[in-house]
Amino acid sequence: MVNARSKRRSYLSFVLPAFVIYAAIMVFPLVFTLGLSFTKWKGYGPIEFVGFQNYARLLSDPVFHIGLRNNVLIVLISVFGQIPLGLLLAYMLHRRMVKGAKLFEILIFLPITISSVIVAQLWNRVFSPVGILPTIVRQLTGNHDYIMTIFENKDFAFVPIMFVLLWQHTSLYMVIFLANLQRIPDSVIEAAKMEGASEGIIFRKIIVPILAPVVFINSILAISGSFKSFDLIYSMTGGGPAHLTEVMAVYMYNTTFVFQNYGYGSAISIVIILFIVAAIMLTKAATNKLNMV
Amino acid sequence: MQYRSRLAIAPLHWRISAYIIMVLFTLITVFPLVWLGYSSLKPNAEIVQHPLALPQAPSFDNYVRAWTMGGLGTALENSLIYTGIATVSTLFLALAAAFGLAKFPFKSAKFFTWAFSVGLMLTVHAVIVPLFLAEVRIGLINTRLGVILPYVAFDLPMSILIALSYVKGIPDALIESAEIDGAKYRQIFWSLIVPLSAPVAATMAILSFLRHWNEFLFVFIFTTKKALKSLPVAITQFAGRQNIEYGLQYASLVIGIMPMILFYMLFHRQLVKGFGEGALKE
Repeated sequence: MVNARSKRRSYLSFVLPAFVIYAAIMVFPLVFTLGLSFTKWKGYGPIEFVGFQNYARLLSDPVFHIGLRNNVLIVLISVFGQIPLGLLLAYMLHRRMVKGAKLFEILIFLPITISSVIVAQLWNRVFSPVGILPTIVRQLTGNHDYIMTIFENKDFAFVPIMFVLLWQHTSLYMVIFLANLQRIPDSVIEAAKMEGASEGIIFRKIIVPILAPVVFINSILAISGSFKSFDLIYSMTGGGPAHLTEVMAVYMYNTTFVFQNYGYGSAISIVIILFIVAAIMLTKAATNKLNMV
Repeated sequence: MQYRSRLAIAPLHWRISAYIIMVLFTLITVFPLVWLGYSSLKPNAEIVQHPLALPQAPSFDNYVRAWTMGGLGTALENSLIYTGIATVSTLFLALAAAFGLAKFPFKSAKFFTWAFSVGLMLTVHAVIVPLFLAEVRIGLINTRLGVILPYVAFDLPMSILIALSYVKGIPDALIESAEIDGAKYRQIFWSLIVPLSAPVAATMAILSFLRHWNEFLFVFIFTTKKALKSLPVAITQFAGRQNIEYGLQYASLVIGIMPMILFYMLFHRQLVKGFGEGALKE
C-alpha cells in the first residue's frame, strides 16, 4: 500500500499536465480578452482604458447588427431546418421505408468529414457562372446570360449560406436521431399499429414526444454552436459584399486582425461568449425541469 | 448502424414520399462532389464551354500543376504532423486526467472536472487575440508547437469528459488488487487503464483527428510561412487565388476532400457511433 502523500502526488501527476495546458491556453487568455474589451488599443503603443465604451458602440454599430441578424438566421436554419429534416430522414431510415437504407445513410453523412473552408470553396464553385446551378438554370430557361446575383441582394445575400449549412449539418442530426430511435422498443410502435394508428399519427403522437428531450437539447446545442460560426462564412464570402453576409465572429476577426482594433474586437468576442453561455444555461435549467416532470 | 425496426411495412404513400426525399437529399449531397471530381479532369476551356459535361479526354494535368504550384505536398505533410501529434497527445493527456479525476479520492477532483466542463463553452475567438500576442512574445509564432498546443488545449475538455464517463465504469476492485500487488500508479495507468479504455480511446481519437484535421483559424493566424500551412488552409488560399483557372481550383479542392473520404470509408462506423452518442457539433 502506498501512503497518502505519494498517492496525492500521483493524482496530481495525472491531472495537472492536462489542466496546465488547458488553463494556460483557454482560461488565462480569456481574462485578458475581458480586460482588453474595456480598452482602446492598436496592437502597439499605450493602452487606453475606455470603460464600457466598446460595448456601448456595439449597440449602435450597423455592421454588428447585420452580423447578429445573420447569426440569428443560422439559429433558425439549425432549429427549424437541420433538426426537423434530420429527424424526418432518420425516421424514414429507421422504419426502413426505403430499400438500401444503409447506402443512403452512408452517402448522406459523408459531408461531416469535409472541412468547412473546403465545403465553402466547393459551393462557391457550384454557384459560380460556370457552376452547376447557373448552368442548369440557363438550360431550363434558355436565358444564356444567367448568373446568380443573390449574393449582392440586400435581403437575400445570406440565403445561399443557409442552404450550405443545411447541406453540411442535417446529416449530423440524422445520425443522432437514428441512435436515439433505436432505443425505442419496437413493441411501442407495434402496439400502436395494432390499435390502428396511422403512420402519421405514430410519428406525431408517439415518436416526436418520446424524442422531444433529444430534439430540445440538440436545439440548444445548435443555438450555442450557431454563435460560433466562422470557417464556412469566412471562406465563402468573408462577410461581404458590403457586410451583407457578416456574422459576429467574422466581424470580430476583421476588426481585430485586419483593422488592428484590439479593444473593440475583444468586446465582440465577449458578447459571443455571453450568447453561448446564455444558451447553455437555458439547456441546464430546461434539462433539470424535464427530469423533474 | 443497425436498423432494428422490422415492423409491419409503412403504407405506400409514406414509402413513395420517403424515396423522393431520400433520393433528392442524397443527390444534392453527392452530386456536387461527383461533379467536382470529373470536372477536375477537364482542361479549362472545356470547363467553361460545357460546365456539366463529362470530360472528353480525362487528364490529371490539373492535379500535377495544382500539387506543385500550391505546395500541397508540404501542406499534406504539415496536416499529418499537426493532426497526428495533437491527436495522440490529447488522447493520453485526457485518459490520464480522467484516471486521476475518476479514481482518486481528492476533493479538488470536483473543481477540476467543473473547470474542464466550462471549456466546452469557450470558443477559439474568445482567446485568439491574447494567445496571438503571447505567442508573438514567447516566439511560438510560426512554429509547429505554436499550432499543436492550442489544438490540444481546445480538444481536452471534450476528450476528458468522454474519457471520464468511461473510466468511472472501470471496477475499483481491479485497481485495488493491483495496488495490493504493489504496482505503482503509473504502472496501473499504462497496464490497466489504457488497455481497458481501448474502445473509448478509439472513438476519442477518431473524433479528435477529425477536429484537428479540419481546424482552420490557428494555422491561418499563427503561421505566416507557406511551409507551415495545413492542407485546408493551403487549399483555401490557393483555390482563392486562381481567378479563372477553374481546373486548378477543382483539382486542389479534390486533393483536400480525398483524404477525408478515405478517412470516412475507414472509420464510418466509429464516426456514426461517436456522433450518434452525443458528441457535439463543431
